[in-house]
Amino acid sequence: MSNTAAAAPSTNTGKSSSWWLIAPGAIWMALFLVAPILLIVYVSFWTQTTFKIEPTLTFKSWQTFFGSDTYINSLWTTLRIWLIVLVTTFVIGYPTALFVGLFVKNKTLSTVLLVICVIPFWTSFLIRVLAWRPMLGKEGAINIILMKLGIIQQPIEALLFTELSVVIGMTQIYVVFMVGPIAFMLGRIDPNIIEAARDLGADFWRIFRKIIFPLSLPGVVVGGIFVSVMVLGEFATAAALSGRKVNLLGNIIVTQVGSLKWAMASVVGVILTVVMGLVIAGFLRIVDLKREL
Amino acid sequence: MADENAVFRLDGVTRSYGNVTALRNVSLAVAGNEYVSLLGPSGSGKSTLLRVIAGFEPPNQGRVYFQGRDITNIPSFERGIGFVFQNFALFPHLSVFDNVAFGLANGAQPVAKAEIDERVRHVIDLVGLSGLEDRGVNQISGGQKQRVALARTLVMAPKLVLLDEPLGALDANLRHRMRVELRAIREKLGVTFLHVTGSETEALAMGDRVVVLDRGSIAQFAPPADVYDHPATPNVAHFLNRYNMFDGSLKDGQFAGPFGSIPITRVTPADRTTYAIRYDRIRVMPKGQGAAGPAIDAKFVASEYLGSSVMYFFETADRKVVEVEHHLSLGAPETYAPMQHYDLCWKAEDALVFGQG
Repeated sequence: MSNTAAAAPSTNTGKSSSWWLIAPGAIWMALFLVAPILLIVYVSFWTQTTFKIEPTLTFKSWQTFFGSDTYINSLWTTLRIWLIVLVTTFVIGYPTALFVGLFVKNKTLSTVLLVICVIPFWTSFLIRVLAWRPMLGKEGAINIILMKLGIIQQPIEALLFTELSVVIGMTQIYVVFMVGPIAFMLGRIDPNIIEAARDLGADFWRIFRKIIFPLSLPGVVVGGIFVSVMVLGEFATAAALSGRKVNLLGNIIVTQVGSLKWAMASVVGVILTVVMGLVIAGFLRIVDLKREL
Repeated sequence: MADENAVFRLDGVTRSYGNVTALRNVSLAVAGNEYVSLLGPSGSGKSTLLRVIAGFEPPNQGRVYFQGRDITNIPSFERGIGFVFQNFALFPHLSVFDNVAFGLANGAQPVAKAEIDERVRHVIDLVGLSGLEDRGVNQISGGQKQRVALARTLVMAPKLVLLDEPLGALDANLRHRMRVELRAIREKLGVTFLHVTGSETEALAMGDRVVVLDRGSIAQFAPPADVYDHPATPNVAHFLNRYNMFDGSLKDGQFAGPFGSIPITRVTPADRTTYAIRYDRIRVMPKGQGAAGPAIDAKFVASEYLGSSVMYFFETADRKVVEVEHHLSLGAPETYAPMQHYDLCWKAEDALVFGQG
């Protein structure tokens, strides 16, 4: 009885019942992602006074943001640091991925190398960031070594508490998110394809430009999205390595929340979310990930 | 083997990986405008041989000559030899046209755009892909991919095309059609094809001559009919999958095997003493009515209908399976009773005997 009931409709209901599989995820996302985002948009229009926030709708916080050089500069700084780190992680990450994913023929060895790239993540994020201070400082490891070698006479002060130190720190932390997806895509390239291209007379540079790079592009896009999302939302590296000189949108959110300015924090939050959305949309226009992966 | 007409020639080529020898002292000369198929079981070194000729792997010993030139130390892309990969190895992100144009557009010598266009369209037409130029290679069928792979190689106008199990990835129907097409395309171009395959029917059907490779050495190089009728070694007979093989011993002009001792006239020298009789040269007779000549007692196990013929499977006293093929053009098939004993008879002169001596 239950046997026939279960067996007969299974072919028909297969399609509609499979939607239940995403129900837990959908509910979770609705409660903890969609609802909070809508709430942030709503709160950004509330009226903020020094000690209170009231649900009276106003554009005041938005006007303050776009009327202030500090806030606008911080938006530009965020975009500048994001672009620089995107480029540095790509420039350092792509050759590494090329080596790990394509030139290392042994699959076990290439997995081992990828794991080695991840080893820094076994220490906490903050320690990794703070460890740059004794490295880059005026009396830090790099300056001491360079002076001992006689390459410089005076310690380089620009190494720490500048935009450069923020870029160095972020690159080191996020480069692995670029290496992983690219190495994965490169590892999937059939070696026969490269051999075929070589047999047809193309040199390595041509093969790289026409075959290898286009085939790794989905990996570059995924890596780029990873790095972008994390760098755009960053505040800790900037706080620890810039001596408060570099203020990213993330840092502003932290300060505003710290002084209970919820409306302004929400404005910055909305702007940051929009920027991220645009960046991701831009990346997804480069390749059709659904088709490539 | 200094053949004047030879397009390419291998001279004592040996290739080993560690202590495994894939090719042992292989010498071979292939003429221009010829379809040569290279038959061998897996592990016989046939892919290695192809890769050595293509230049993907260097030989440990021996020389490779192509169009009268020693190319042993010349890299693959300067050899002018085309290679068609087993799994096609098409560039997945490029269109059919761009796949075919790749070698012309990215090769060492620059080719003018108009010439690329003309040559690519001509070869696409030759392999029958006109109209599909702008399709992605993932939007076409297996047989079409095969043609793209072939066109991509042919557009470079090679004098020699190496095909590594080119039909292996196609379904049986398509495989049959592509056999005919490959031969037709080759004849139109007048170049030499060297076609590696593990299928004996494919090797016999396609090659003007067939090379049979056995454990890294060439066991036989002859036209298909010769290979089929006169396999040079017991292993060649075995690869052809058309011979019942009986082990035994040779003594005083007699072969002693499971069917007793029979006088023999001709022995092909080989390192193994074996008696081979083709599936379609055996007649099945009821017990006690056997004609004169060699015969063996066996019980009927099963039969298999193949359309133009029927295969019968018998089992001898020492549990060896003997296959008998009956061509339906010779008359309606007999029905045999399961597990009944019959006499399997043949003419002594139809058998091939291998042995020392």
